[in-house]
Amino acid sequence: MDADSDVALDILITNVVCVFRTRCHLNLRKIALEGANVIYKRDVGKVLMKLRKPRITATIWSSGKIICTGATSEEEAKFGARRLARSLQKLGFQVIFTDFKVVNVLAVCNMPFEIRLPEFTKNNRPHASYEPELHPAVCYRIKSLRATLQIFSTGSITVTGILF
Amino acid sequence: MHWWFWPEVELKLSSRLQRSPAGGAGKAPTLGGGFHVSLGKESRAQTLQNGRRQIHHLGNQLQLNQHCLDTAFNFFKMAVSKHLTRGRRTAHVVAACLYLVCRTEGTPHMLLDLSDLLQVNVYVLGKTFLLLARELCINAPAIDPCLYIPRFAHLLEFGEKNHEVSMTALRLLQRMKRDWMHTGRRPSGLCGAALLVAARMHDFRRTVKEVISVVKVCESTLRKRLTEFEDTPTSQLTVDEFMKIDLEEECDPPSYTAGQRKLRLKQLEQVLSKQLEAVEGEITTYQDAIEIELENSRPKAKGALASLTKDGSVEDSTSSLCGEEDTEDEELEAAASHLNKDFYQELLGGSVPGSSEAAGVPEEGRRPPALESLLGPLPTAASLGISDSIRECISSPSHEPKDACGDGELDLSGIDDLEIDRYILNEAEARVKAELWMRENAEYLREQKEKEARIAKERELGIYKEHKPKKSCKRREPIQASTAGEAIEKMLEQKKISSKINYSVLRGLDAGGGPPGEDGPPPREHGPPPGEDTGPQGEAARPPEWTSARRLSRRKTSSRRSRPDPSTSAGKRLRPLVSTQPAKKVALGEASLPSAHSLEAERVRPTVVVVESGPVSYHAEEDAEEEDAEEEDGEPCVSALQMMGGNDYGCDGDDDDGY
Repeated sequence: MDADSDVALDILITNVVCVFRTRCHLNLRKIALEGANVIYKRDVGKVLMKLRKPRITATIWSSGKIICTGATSEEEAKFGARRLARSLQKLGFQVIFTDFKVVNVLAVCNMPFEIRLPEFTKNNRPHASYEPELHPAVCYRIKSLRATLQIFSTGSITVTGILF
Repeated sequence: MHWWFWPEVELKLSSRLQRSPAGGAGKAPTLGGGFHVSLGKESRAQTLQNGRRQIHHLGNQLQLNQHCLDTAFNFFKMAVSKHLTRGRRTAHVVAACLYLVCRTEGTPHMLLDLSDLLQVNVYVLGKTFLLLARELCINAPAIDPCLYIPRFAHLLEFGEKNHEVSMTALRLLQRMKRDWMHTGRRPSGLCGAALLVAARMHDFRRTVKEVISVVKVCESTLRKRLTEFEDTPTSQLTVDEFMKIDLEEECDPPSYTAGQRKLRLKQLEQVLSKQLEAVEGEITTYQDAIEIELENSRPKAKGALASLTKDGSVEDSTSSLCGEEDTEDEELEAAASHLNKDFYQELLGGSVPGSSEAAGVPEEGRRPPALESLLGPLPTAASLGISDSIRECISSPSHEPKDACGDGELDLSGIDDLEIDRYILNEAEARVKAELWMRENAEYLREQKEKEARIAKERELGIYKEHKPKKSCKRREPIQASTAGEAIEKMLEQKKISSKINYSVLRGLDAGGGPPGEDGPPPREHGPPPGEDTGPQGEAARPPEWTSARRLSRRKTSSRRSRPDPSTSAGKRLRPLVSTQPAKKVALGEASLPSAHSLEAERVRPTVVVVESGPVSYHAEEDAEEEDAEEEDGEPCVSALQMMGGNDYGCDGDDDDGY
């Protein structure tokens, strides 16, 4: 890495999505009634629970599958997931924390220069796709890394990826 | 001549008998014989036909020429062969194909137009379109806003000056492009702005509202484009100057300049705040200096107080040498004392601020560099950290074992139980919350109750139909057969259509069955084979007869089968229908078209004849027809209408018997 200390491209992770299972049936009604920061969506069949300390929002299904979003790092995501499981335990369910998996990571990066999107698209034909009618950014997909980058003309880049 | 009818007869047979596998997910072409290949193709042909129809329908609304429509149909065929139509509405796929053609040809059609026609969300269509372009590896060239100008100019009705205004608008657009206003923006918005300015330049009054209705963007978008254009130096030129001169310099894109402006503002703020701090520091030093002077000029405090202050100062000085935390506390105290401005307190703490401030200024001087030193290592550490993690991710994708070693037990390290307890409401809170939720979702709950009540009532009445989960259709094994006849037999056994089928006859079919069966779709589409043409026939008359013939032939499979020579009879049945005297033909056509109650009327008359004796009478009629056909004359005794009605009747009679 050359000249990194001078031009520090700070890439910030803004969102980490993870899933885990509790291996037990969860009574959504009970969680909804006794949880303090809970939204119960009965028509869809899920409960949204928000925690403050690692700021995360968890979607809980009655089958025991839980999706956690909003964490800013992988460790935080795991920490938040564990806290959530702990709070469910306190509510009285026999929770087992299994199959924790980080499913998606979102990061934002800023380039100090602006980018000419039509030319960029022409030069990167198979990977880049640009539809100004639909979205102002170029969608650049890297298949090998399974990542999608959204490149805006101001130089800010949003990276999304599913890692396994 | 008779075997000309063969292909489409077979097909109708096949379509009738094998309707579900072909129509459903029957993409697996079973190679158990000629029959099965035609079945798979038929469904495909139907899909393509349907798609073609929709393409033509939409394309005509967009006024696309035939070449474009053909290209779109080619795209559709490719999409179908790649199974991209599965799980997607045909309308969406068709729209995507058309839009792809528009892009490759460069016609001024927007995706918005298509979505307007279909009443579908633009983004949904866009998603389908992107997928299609990606899968078919077609690079759609980027949209040039210049393409839209003639179209919008025409809609804005500039009269004779249309061309001039368009040219001006084009120049404006090119200028905008050079000023980097067009990256990431909807081309229609830019067009709207350019046209508006061009119109004004040529003394046409076009309001923003008119332009918006044509261009389909929001008012605020248009205004924003106009202001952006205003910011460029080109806007300062007069009309004539603009037409002649083209400024050399290029501008940055407006979003970039906006971003730069924000950055600059932030920097300014930071600098200002630092300056403020410096200024504050100066002020405080002056203040303290003044206080010291004042203190010195005041009479010294005696005894205990003096000792206290002296001790305080000694402590302060030692502590100031120690850690930053202590100095911070002292800073706080100093700040508190400054704020209070209590004379008595100042007496006591007069020495304290004095010494602490002395330490404070260099401390402040220390503070900015401390922050920088803190910030300094961060980016490099981050960049290094990321590179490490990237290397890890790429090289060893094995995170699972690490998690699995927990084996389900919850690791409670670092979890603050107390805080989690706060997440659980007590009883009173739970009750309140339950009530609130009930009130909010009252409607939904009511709907659920009504639904349950309805179901209970229906159950009592015995009407309630349980919605059984759909059974997935079993895949049939491909039929292994040596001859077509055997294959048909086996298939019929599988399908369990009817026990009235005469298998010996089936085997007889085999002889003429092979090749014509494969020409399935074309003969069907082309209508009756040329062999039976007996003179000029009205186009209108033919289709209704044909459909009725088709209907009839479909229903009469069993009866036909029972004939010794079904092909000939079938052929002949159709023949008499078609080869009736031309005069009667028109009458037939007319009669068949307003079918409903004419048939009903007809029903009444021949009922007595046909229904009583069911198939027998039918066969008798058929024999009569055969004889007639052989004579190659129109039926003398039976009137055309009667025949039509009679045939339908025979059909129904058979149906009743068979099923």
